[in-house]
Amino acid sequence: MADPSASYLGKTLIEEISPVVMVLGTPLVEDSSRKNGLSFVDTLRPFSLFHDIDVPVRTASDQPYRLHKFKLRLHYASEIHQPDVEASEEHLKNVVTRASDVDTSDLRSDPPQIDSLLEAAESESLPSWFQIFNKELIHIASFSEHEAFDHPVACLLVVSSKDEQPINKFVELFDTNQLPSLLSDSIMDPKILKHYLLLHDNQDGALETDIKMLTEMRSTFGSNECRLLTINSAEDGSTDWQDNPWIPHKIDASISQDLGCLLNMDDINEMKNFMQDLASKHIIPHMEQKIRVLNQQVSATRKGFRNQIKNLWWRKGKEDAPETSSGQMYAFNSIESQMRVLGDYAFMLRDYELALSNYRLLSTDYKLDKAWKRYAGVQEMMGLAFFMLDQSKKDVEYCMENALSTYLKLGSSGQRNVTRCGLWWTEILKARDQYKEAAGVYFRISNEEPSLQAAVMLEQASYCYLLSKPPMLRKYGFHLVLAGNRYYISEQRKHAIRAYRSATSVYKGNAWSFINDHVHYHIGKWYSFIEIFDVALQHLLEVVACSHQSVATQELFLKDFLQTVQKLGKAFEVFSMQLPVINIPSLKVLFEDQRTYGSVGAVNIKESLWKCLEEDMIPLLPAARTNWLESQPKLSKNLKDSNICVAGEPIRVEIEFRNPLKIPISVSGASLICQLSAEPESVESAVVNQADNNVDGNSSATVFQNDSELIKLKRSWEQDAGSSFVLSEVDFSLGGSETTVIQFVVTPKVEGILNIVGVRWKLSDSVIGYHSFDTTVLKKKTVKGRRRGGQYAKSPLKFTVIKSLPKLECCIHHLPSKAYAGELHRLVLELKNRSKFPIKNMKMKISDPRFLNAGSLDDMKIEFPICLEKRINSKESIVQPNDVEGSNGLLFSFPEDCVIEGETTFTWPLWLHTSTTGRISLYMSIYYEMENSSNDIRYRTLRTQYDLEVLPSLDMSVHVAPCPSRLQEFLVRMDVTNRSSSESFLLHQFSSVGHNWEISSLPPDGAVHPSQMLTAGQALSCFFKLKKCNDLASEGMPSSTTLHGSDVRLGPHDSEKALFDISRAPLANFHSYERLDQGKSIQGSSNVDFILISQLKQNASAASDPPRLFSHHSCHHRQESKSLIHLLVVGYNGVQETFSHEGCIIVLPIVLRNMHDACVIVVIDQAASQVDVRGTALPSNGNVWNPVKNPREITQGTDGHSDICISFSPPYTQTLTNAIWGSSTPGHLQLEDNSMTRSGSRTTTLTPNTYKASRRVIAWFYHPSHGNWKRPNLARKARFVTINNLN
Amino acid sequence: MIVCVSVVGHQNNPLYLQSFTEEDDALKLHHVVHCSLDVIDERVNNPKKTGSTLNETFLGLLYPTENYKVYGYLTNTKVKFILVTTDVDVRDADMRNFFRRFHSAYVDAVSNPFHVPGKKITSRSFAERVSTIVKSFGLGGAV
Amino acid sequence: MGREVSESCVDNLIIEMVSAYCNRFYESKPDLAARRIEAIGYQVGLQLSERYTMERPRFTDHLEAIKFICKDFWSEVFKKQIDNLKTNHRGTFVLQDNRFRWLTRMSVDTNQTNTDSSLDTAENKETQSASMHLYFPCGIIRGALTSLGIPCAVSADMSNLPACSFVVRIKG
Repeated sequence: MADPSASYLGKTLIEEISPVVMVLGTPLVEDSSRKNGLSFVDTLRPFSLFHDIDVPVRTASDQPYRLHKFKLRLHYASEIHQPDVEASEEHLKNVVTRASDVDTSDLRSDPPQIDSLLEAAESESLPSWFQIFNKELIHIASFSEHEAFDHPVACLLVVSSKDEQPINKFVELFDTNQLPSLLSDSIMDPKILKHYLLLHDNQDGALETDIKMLTEMRSTFGSNECRLLTINSAEDGSTDWQDNPWIPHKIDASISQDLGCLLNMDDINEMKNFMQDLASKHIIPHMEQKIRVLNQQVSATRKGFRNQIKNLWWRKGKEDAPETSSGQMYAFNSIESQMRVLGDYAFMLRDYELALSNYRLLSTDYKLDKAWKRYAGVQEMMGLAFFMLDQSKKDVEYCMENALSTYLKLGSSGQRNVTRCGLWWTEILKARDQYKEAAGVYFRISNEEPSLQAAVMLEQASYCYLLSKPPMLRKYGFHLVLAGNRYYISEQRKHAIRAYRSATSVYKGNAWSFINDHVHYHIGKWYSFIEIFDVALQHLLEVVACSHQSVATQELFLKDFLQTVQKLGKAFEVFSMQLPVINIPSLKVLFEDQRTYGSVGAVNIKESLWKCLEEDMIPLLPAARTNWLESQPKLSKNLKDSNICVAGEPIRVEIEFRNPLKIPISVSGASLICQLSAEPESVESAVVNQADNNVDGNSSATVFQNDSELIKLKRSWEQDAGSSFVLSEVDFSLGGSETTVIQFVVTPKVEGILNIVGVRWKLSDSVIGYHSFDTTVLKKKTVKGRRRGGQYAKSPLKFTVIKSLPKLECCIHHLPSKAYAGELHRLVLELKNRSKFPIKNMKMKISDPRFLNAGSLDDMKIEFPICLEKRINSKESIVQPNDVEGSNGLLFSFPEDCVIEGETTFTWPLWLHTSTTGRISLYMSIYYEMENSSNDIRYRTLRTQYDLEVLPSLDMSVHVAPCPSRLQEFLVRMDVTNRSSSESFLLHQFSSVGHNWEISSLPPDGAVHPSQMLTAGQALSCFFKLKKCNDLASEGMPSSTTLHGSDVRLGPHDSEKALFDISRAPLANFHSYERLDQGKSIQGSSNVDFILISQLKQNASAASDPPRLFSHHSCHHRQESKSLIHLLVVGYNGVQETFSHEGCIIVLPIVLRNMHDACVIVVIDQAASQVDVRGTALPSNGNVWNPVKNPREITQGTDGHSDICISFSPPYTQTLTNAIWGSSTPGHLQLEDNSMTRSGSRTTTLTPNTYKASRRVIAWFYHPSHGNWKRPNLARKARFVTINNLN
Repeated sequence: MIVCVSVVGHQNNPLYLQSFTEEDDALKLHHVVHCSLDVIDERVNNPKKTGSTLNETFLGLLYPTENYKVYGYLTNTKVKFILVTTDVDVRDADMRNFFRRFHSAYVDAVSNPFHVPGKKITSRSFAERVSTIVKSFGLGGAV
Repeated sequence: MGREVSESCVDNLIIEMVSAYCNRFYESKPDLAARRIEAIGYQVGLQLSERYTMERPRFTDHLEAIKFICKDFWSEVFKKQIDNLKTNHRGTFVLQDNRFRWLTRMSVDTNQTNTDSSLDTAENKETQSASMHLYFPCGIIRGALTSLGIPCAVSADMSNLPACSFVVRIKG
């Protein structure tokens, strides 16, 4: 380690532990020196410090050495006593306050960064007032009687030359009863070195008298103890000092008049010389002398083994002496006091060895005497001596620890010494770079101190932690916080803030949010105390949005924040305030360009759904669009990078607000911030863009960044007053940690480029928060309403406002929200055109034509449901069922001639048929073009969406079976169940669809289900006869396009209720869609569809309103049957025949019907027909007839002949001779599926009789698809043929 | 009694801090724990310690504040456990035992697949387990 | 101590995870799948190392940590130790396992249909799928070392199944 005396502590010790000179002066002395604005002592003080006095000294053991730096401490006798506590406290307080005024000038600047602090610490640029403060603190403990280095070594008596009889004055000046207590009550040796000074004020005439007086003095007091000093020899106030020697010594720098104005160079030099002589010629030799004397005594009485023993024994002897820590028991002539004086003098003359040896002896004595205070004082001095001798750390620490703890034990009496001792110690440790330990000591003594001193101690401790290697930042911060608290307690707010601010740099950005919040919160509060509100708010903002704190804390923070804002007086504006938190990714922009939305529901539908709905309705798809963009180059540019919106039409922005706190907050006047610039390349937009880039650039928004952002937002907010657009203001309040989506509306009024820059809101009416939309976030996500034109670059918040366009609004009248399945409604679509301009060729696309269908205008003429009823003059209904192929919805184009003029409304009928149950949402998009084809939007679409819930009502199932007796007739069973919960229905009519079918009730004249009622849950089956009218008739007209069918009235015959015409538009259309929906192909006339029409039974109350009509469709029924082929042999009951010529010829028609839907080849077999009904086997002469051919051969087209053999057998005869055969039909005949054919068989007979003609048909049926033959399937029919003879 | 236990992540970020006193001294405890990190750094980084204590997980008494004693434990994964107690004399064995059990509790907590590494430990079962460990402290409670 | 699950369950789980990420989630982009699998392994490694380093003094240098991985960690996870550890003393370690457990179940299709093209395609398909299975252990190693305060990058290569070696490159 370097030379200890070079260290800071060394210097201070040399200054602080130095001989005291007691000054006694007459009032006149003071007067003359006051002329310079200085007391006499102050006048001399600058010259009491000698940088190189260079005095030769000899130690007690005669080693010569030279003193260089030396100091005398001048004090008035009146000052030489223990300073009283209050005064010193006050004094310290002033020091600190002054420091705070000096030191906290930069309260508005940013808090220091940690690294800057570190290097500041390296360069020792700690607050300089610490040293002053410490000095003052040390001075408090001065002039205690238990240590001798504060005891005056010499006494300087000063008398002005104007005093009369100065000799007497000198004498009475040193009058014992006004001497300080130290001398008076014999704590120190009253025989003290005296020095007599005669002060001459040059302004009071010449020197002669003074010279005389001096000689007189010399004669009385001895020659070399007397001296004459001349001052004020300068002409009035002429001299002013470049570097005034007195300034540094005036701590309370209240320079009323310029100091030492009357002193000129000669005076200065004289004073210098005087002091020099005083020190070197008198005081030092005196001390040296005294050291020698005392040393001899001490060594005589105490050194050596004998003395030690004696001393010990003697002390044992006075064990029972009164136990006291005060020094009365040690008079100045007691050996202990002398040793102490010896030690202190030696110390002051830098003879540390000597001092140390004496201290050692003393400490043991004091310890034995339990004179703790003195013991501690000696230990303290030992420690210092060790330090100055650069002894081992251990000794120093031991001694200081001893001293400190002993002082501590003493309690209040030792308190000041604790502080001083502690300060010494810390200085020692610092000098040895043991900063951590120093901090510890600081901390210890801080506990003993009133809050102010404690604060300063703690702060010094914190700096020690900062300086320790490696720096212990956390402790640094912690102690700063402690210090800050103490400062605050002792009303040193600025200091408190300073401490906390330096602490923030430690806690900045780490996760210790509790501490961070606490620090910021208090800084904020204290700033607001000293009324620097803006900074206060900066800090409060840090904590106001803390989500992790407890509810109470959050409330407290918020309350103080708001109070501060109110104190601020003006509106406080924050950029990107976190209260509430804005969830930018949740931002949704809803606007209308070509696409306008009729309902909220419609907005939220996926764009793709609309696209595929509209695809064959909209002429211009993106490809086409680029074309017409090219046609308008001037627009193409900014259309690419922005969305189009229409002046006068609102743009909706939805943002999610989240309340981070657990307590409710209220937000008012929230609205968007927008910029509307006339021409595309305007300044604002440019600014915005580049600002956006900034935001993109560094997400870590610095303060400056924020400010610039804030400025920009504010400007754009203020400038929008220019009513180029209208903003909506929203007030809402968020509960604890609640999240809501707020919708903002901006409505541009003029054309131009609209930029939505950000959002602005008021937190509980005092704080205005700004938040700018960082567009990069949004570019990522696809925002609703954005054209998926592959233009990903464009920002969703930039709009090209074009001049206002007509916009249709649509509503559908009496659309039920709840309906029963199969219910049929007539709705009215009403289109409003609020604009001036007419709207032409409109088209409409409906998502699900099964449910919704466009009617025709004349549906409106008659009211529903009469319009559906059959009318006598039933002309062919106009409407052809629409082409049902367009599977994704129905495209309906309004007639060419219908144009919606400006400010008119337009109505069109729609038909609703709820075919299935459940929740159904219908999408409808209406396309229209503007009369004034504005340059960039020529058409628009209006998208609407409706939800309705369909409840179950009736469900109908139909079962068709062939009629056994008739080929062309079928039995139809209709099962209907009422599935509705409560309602009951009236069945009205049951219709079969199609020309070639005719349905009739069964029995023909019977009434089907006379009470039409079908109550809830009831099931019912009705039977009908379905007749197929001959195909030939239906060949004529194309069937199944127009649905002419036949109806059966359900219920009583005589009900005059008109039937409904199922061939009219809505029913027909819906039916065709039902067909489509119920699957299979529509071709195949043999499939039959049925429609059940019913009505809702109205209870008496609702009797007035029109009946609710239901139609249930069930399609594609075919008639099942067991057998494949129906064969019918038409027989005769009797044939009249005269057997005039050879036999009679009977033609037996056979009707064959193929029930199968594949081509069938039928072979009529005669071989199998040998069997008699009666079971009598016929002689097997069947082989006479050519046998049945192998069907394969048949198909291979060998002679395609087979005979039908009718075996006639007379009832009671076995002979067959009287029968002659002859018959021929095409042996195998091909039956198309579901077709019929007739073939005949002709036979002849000779004798009248009753014959049985039995037939067996073998059907080989053949699938063209897979060319193999299926197993034959037999059908047998028999008829009796009776042939009577006529004669 | 044990005043507070805390888990501090390897970036000296607080993962868990539970105070077991009635009065509201959360802030003070935060400070104490936070400062103790300084001591831990010092202990670990200054190789002047003897080899045995250098890389042992149990760091022993970190520092006594005016009315607390702070003990530390540093896992291999640079996670610090810090215990603040008011007991004047604590048996070292007890302390080790405590930290061992605490460590296993911590391991189970962070092994929970729903725990995000480096985030605060919010598991309730962990809290319960810790409180039982704390209660049984010094009673020579078995693991 | 902890509860135990049957080893086959773990094997199946891992196989399923790998196949799920490779063939279902990120079928088109295998590198992304690899990254995901590695990330899963990373977290597993973090937690395992947290557990397995209990009750043991802190590691003073990298080598100790690596040794821990090779010996205790590996035998905790795979019931065997790393067979061979090489280092270039400049922060690169090669951990070789001659019979890596998770590759033992992996069958090399020997009776390949013998046209060369199909053979080598099959070869590299198989190697590719196998390497997919190696991302998980890589992640585990990286996680374990990172949690021990050693940021590193881990890659694996298979000489011949079921032997494979992990290359640890310590960053900084």
